[in-house]
Amino acid sequence: METIVKRRIKQVIKGDQDAYGEIVELYRDKVFQLCYRMLGDRHEAEDIAQEAFIRAFININSFNQNLKFSSWIYRIATNLCIDRIRKKKPDYFLDAEVPGTEGLTMYSQISSDTVLPEDELESLELQDEVQKEISKLPEKYRMAIVLKYIEELSLNEISEILDLPLGTVKTRIHRGREALRQQLKNV
Amino acid sequence: MSCPDHIVDYMHDYLDEEISEREEQELRKHLHSCSDCEQHFRELKKAIAFVQNTSHIKAPDGFTASVMAKLPKEKKKLEMSR
Repeated sequence: METIVKRRIKQVIKGDQDAYGEIVELYRDKVFQLCYRMLGDRHEAEDIAQEAFIRAFININSFNQNLKFSSWIYRIATNLCIDRIRKKKPDYFLDAEVPGTEGLTMYSQISSDTVLPEDELESLELQDEVQKEISKLPEKYRMAIVLKYIEELSLNEISEILDLPLGTVKTRIHRGREALRQQLKNV
Repeated sequence: MSCPDHIVDYMHDYLDEEISEREEQELRKHLHSCSDCEQHFRELKKAIAFVQNTSHIKAPDGFTASVMAKLPKEKKKLEMSR
C-alpha cells in the first residue's frame, strides 16, 4: 500500500489534486476511528479527521518520503486531537495530582464516583461503556492505548508517531492497561 | 500480598511480547501459585479484549468529497503552472 501511496504523493506534489482523493480514501477510516476513540464524539472526530487530511495536503512538500505516510497522517491527527482535548478542558486537569495526596488524581476521584448502578449499566450497550472508559483515561495513556489496541500498531510505530522514546511509550501503555483493568474489571 | 514487584512488570512485558523465556516461566510459575496475581493478569487480558473488540467504525459518507472540497484551490493552480 505504501508504494501506491508514494506514487500518489509524487502526483499530488506535481499538482494532481485528484490523486490526493485516493490517499484520503485509503486512510479515512483509520484516521476517523483514531479521532473518534480519542474524542468520543462523531462530529468532532469528523471535523478533526478532515482537518488532519487538509493539513497533510497543505504541508505535503515537507513530508519526508522515506517515512510511512500513515505514521505522518497519524501524527498530524494525534496532535490535532490533543489540541482539541486541551481546548475543551476546564481550568483543572483530570490527570493532575490532587494537592496533598500521593498519586491520587482528579481522574481517580471521578471514576470512583461515577460507578453506575447495576440496572443502568445493563441498559447501556457494552460498546458505549467501553468507549466511555477509554475516554476517562488521561489523554497520554488514551493515545497510546488507542494506537496499540484499536489501530493495532507496533510499539515502534507508536514511538515514531508520538515522537517519544520507546521506553516512554511502553510506560504509557502499561499504565493505560492498569487503569483500564481497574475500570473494566466489573463490566 | 507479598509478591515480587517485577511480577506485574513481567505481565506487561508478556502482553507486549517482550518477555524472555526464563521470565515467562517464572511468571507462569507464580501465576499458578498466586490467585491474586492470576486474577490481576486475567483482568488485564479482559480489559485488552474489551478495547480490541470495540467495533471498527468507518468514516461518515461523503468524508473524502468533503475533504477534497475544502482543499485550497490556489495551490493546485500554482503547482499546475510550473
